[in-house]
Amino acid sequence: MSAKTEKGVNPEVKVIDTTRQAVPFDTANIPGPKMARAVMPAVSGKMLAKAKRPLLIVGSEISDPEVLARVVSLGKAGIQIASVGDSYAYLADKGLDAHYANMHALASYLCDPQWPGLDGKGGYDLVVFFGITYYYASQAISALKNFSHIKVISIDKYYHPNADMSFGNLKKDIFLPALDEVIAQLPKK
Amino acid sequence: MITKKGSFVIEGLENVQINIGKVGAGEEQIAEGPTPRPEIISLRSWDHRILDRYNAVYTPTGDTCDMCTYGKCDLTGNKEGACGIDLEGQSSREALTTTIQGAACHSAHGRHLLNYLIKKYGADFKIDVGPSNLQAPITETVMGITPKTIGDFIPVLDYVEEQLTQLMATTNTGQEGASRDFESKSLHAGMLDLLGMEVSDIIQISCLGFPKSDENAPVIEIGMGILDPKKPVVVCVGHNIAAPAYILDNMDANNLFDKIEIAGLCCTAHDMTRYKRTAKIVGPMTKELKYIRSGIPDVLVTDEQCVRADILKEAQKLHIPVIATSEKITYGLPDRSKDNVDDIIEDLVSGKQAGVLLLDFEKIGELVPKLAMKMGPIRKAKGYTALPTEEEMKKLVSKCTQCLQCTKDCPESLPISDAMVAATTGDLTKFEELHDKCIGCGRCDYSCPVKIPILNVIEKASQRVIWEEKGKIRIGRGQIGDPEIREEGRNLVLGTTPGVIAFVGCSNYPNGTKDVYDMVEEMIQRSYIIITSGCATMDIGMHKDKDGKTLYERYPGRFVKGNLLNTGSCVSNAHIAATTIKVASIFAGRKTKGNWEEIADYVMNRVGAVGLSWGAYSQKAFAIGTGCNRLGIPVVVGPHGTKYRRAYIGKPYKKETWNVLDGRDGSVVNVEPAPEHMMITAETKAEVLPLLAKLCFRPSDNSLGRAIKLTHYIELSEKYLKKMPDDWHIYVRNEADLPVAKKEQLMKLLEERGWKIDWEKKKIMEGPLRKVDVSFQPTNVPRLCKEVKK
Ligand code: SF4
Ligand code: SF4
Repeated sequence: MSAKTEKGVNPEVKVIDTTRQAVPFDTANIPGPKMARAVMPAVSGKMLAKAKRPLLIVGSEISDPEVLARVVSLGKAGIQIASVGDSYAYLADKGLDAHYANMHALASYLCDPQWPGLDGKGGYDLVVFFGITYYYASQAISALKNFSHIKVISIDKYYHPNADMSFGNLKKDIFLPALDEVIAQLPKK
Repeated sequence: MITKKGSFVIEGLENVQINIGKVGAGEEQIAEGPTPRPEIISLRSWDHRILDRYNAVYTPTGDTCDMCTYGKCDLTGNKEGACGIDLEGQSSREALTTTIQGAACHSAHGRHLLNYLIKKYGADFKIDVGPSNLQAPITETVMGITPKTIGDFIPVLDYVEEQLTQLMATTNTGQEGASRDFESKSLHAGMLDLLGMEVSDIIQISCLGFPKSDENAPVIEIGMGILDPKKPVVVCVGHNIAAPAYILDNMDANNLFDKIEIAGLCCTAHDMTRYKRTAKIVGPMTKELKYIRSGIPDVLVTDEQCVRADILKEAQKLHIPVIATSEKITYGLPDRSKDNVDDIIEDLVSGKQAGVLLLDFEKIGELVPKLAMKMGPIRKAKGYTALPTEEEMKKLVSKCTQCLQCTKDCPESLPISDAMVAATTGDLTKFEELHDKCIGCGRCDYSCPVKIPILNVIEKASQRVIWEEKGKIRIGRGQIGDPEIREEGRNLVLGTTPGVIAFVGCSNYPNGTKDVYDMVEEMIQRSYIIITSGCATMDIGMHKDKDGKTLYERYPGRFVKGNLLNTGSCVSNAHIAATTIKVASIFAGRKTKGNWEEIADYVMNRVGAVGLSWGAYSQKAFAIGTGCNRLGIPVVVGPHGTKYRRAYIGKPYKKETWNVLDGRDGSVVNVEPAPEHMMITAETKAEVLPLLAKLCFRPSDNSLGRAIKLTHYIELSEKYLKKMPDDWHIYVRNEADLPVAKKEQLMKLLEERGWKIDWEKKKIMEGPLRKVDVSFQPTNVPRLCKEVKK
């Protein structure tokens, strides 16, 4: 259900608009003429649902139980997870298709068409990420932006100019429902 | 420098003559390898071997190029600019430029010291760095000579400077265009950096009485809380000991050490304590702004490198006179080098001049203590400080609108507004936590729309912890001595000492200084040899165990397993890299002179050493890392390191890149990815610890060594990432490689992976990539194989 429809049907329902504040979270992180298009959660969710081989990357900022619950939901919906930084420690016992990866190495491998993927089943056509140290993620995905053909969507609470599409800078009260809306687009397992 | 027939004459030192023929005469001066004084292309094939395995990975901070007037060019998506360079090429050009900047810094530092020390002690002053025959390992390996006197380093720095000019020329538009060759040049610049650093530290150790490979160098105090602010306080900032040495000598001669406090910030501090034990250390570069704003310094002396660009501006606000002593940082100040000391003092005390440029060391030595004695009482009576009063602080914190602009501008994205909110209720603990994580950059001051001087508020709110900031470090010991290498080299090459980990670099940490302390503690308890230098050394010494002891008090400083060694300042990093050359030479008998490729090949395949620069910020740190890479030493950088924009990352899934030759017959052996990367970053402490353990694997490990390394790799991964590493089995060659305590359990896991196990004999029958062969001679250089030689 899109925010627009929601708005039309019931003006009481809070609109989850993730396209506001679409300016680099680190003020000076302006890479060049191509910057991410601000995206609504439903659109990101649909793209994720349609992707042939999507990959979710999460990092060290997923310890918050409410954020972690959303990672688990995405994983349970069948999205493979690259667990960068120390995030695997939070996912170890969750029964997900999660693999530890170093973010810097992962960025390099994602740019290599010969990379067999985290599970040996081939590369990915869409990368979605959140919960990674802002500047670290921004740098790593600048490799993907410039040296790969993979689509990248940031569903983090920060606007990431190096992604193809990104949420704007969000407060937690928008960020969590936005993630829920992404999850809602995925086929139930 | 002017070169006359058969001799060198240094400008300004016309009466000092150095014979050209001196270096190069005698048996000791005959190069043993094929590349003495390598030109920018001489080691290209070695570089390409490194790059074929460890691919350059670019993470641009900007997608445009504006280096020439064709631009700005949009290179997004690896497009070409007007000159034909694509983003990959441009990124590699930036990496080269960064490396040259770092190398130029260290070697210019060396040049300044060399000219000064030759003038003072004479070119024939003997090199003495301690109980070693191999006194200048990097110089030998690069230049093919064995320097004996400080004058012997003149042609060494001439070479470095000439090569850096050649390299810089290649970065001009219309020169090099291939990223692979920019990287080869970057590796060359990194090697030159190691050389420049070695010269700098050897000459100062030799001439200035620094500790010489002294494992028992004294442990001294460090911290923002160690100086007595009631006394006049002199603070020296930067990296070059020349000027501070004169101040210390003058204070010594006039018995002023109990009357004046003198301390250093950043690497000058290290070298001041190496010169005179009575000097003190405030801390790393991150404390510069914090300490100045405290108002405690009565005189600031700046030299070169890691000196904030705003020191004069900041000092001026608090009436702290600045004495600039280096031609490299002059701040627009008047040059008073030829003036009378008392006249200069008068102008500074009266405030007529906020600072002066003073290049005459004798005058600096005389002026600074006198000035401090005058400024101290005046400044203390006025109570100058940038920090707000308690009342002012209360008002300031209540102004915060929680707009988060400061967090957006803060390099560490610190939750400043949360601390502001807590402080309105009198809770300062959040600010105290921020104080350790804050790198004191002052960026937030500029960003706050309601003009809260944020850094000053953080510092005011953290006064309680600041006064308790008293740590300890062991004074920089200099090189690792030959006898220590003789004792430990074997353990390192066989792997029974799990590795050498160098904790080096600056303090741009992602999460404060405590992480570095924790990492060292974890690895030292696992018997790794920990070597430190520069700002990292200082941060490690700022934390204590439950008995109030720092790591330097708990662990001795010898080059053996489970020890903690501080080599010294930034230029002492050369000794850390040189240790691996010493292992190759002393333990394995490899020839060093002019033999870079063979030595680096040995190091890469056999010496389990890895560098961690968790808070690297400067071009110098990048140059050091790149130099280590050319020597075959892998380097890990903290998450900010992605902003260096280039890494060297291995691809374990590309099996063919892990082929090495067996030196005995030239046969090709596919080995495990060891070391897996040459330059890479990690996001957190928990991630980096298992990575460090993994990067200590080498193809030459014997089974006992491999089992020890594997134990740590597995345990660290389980402890911090809550999982067995996915790739642990790749490092198993037979059952003897398995950690004894977990052997059965691990064999079961191998069986589940499809390996064949003979349970009766407790043997692995099938599965490993290769067998253990104790005589295996791994090499990446075809000419080093006996068969190929024939
Ligand atoms: S001074 Fe400290 S709090 Fe302010 S921006 Fe710099 S690191 Fe962040
Ligand atoms: S920028 Fe100023 S007002 Fe905004 S959150 Fe930071 S301290 Fe508060």
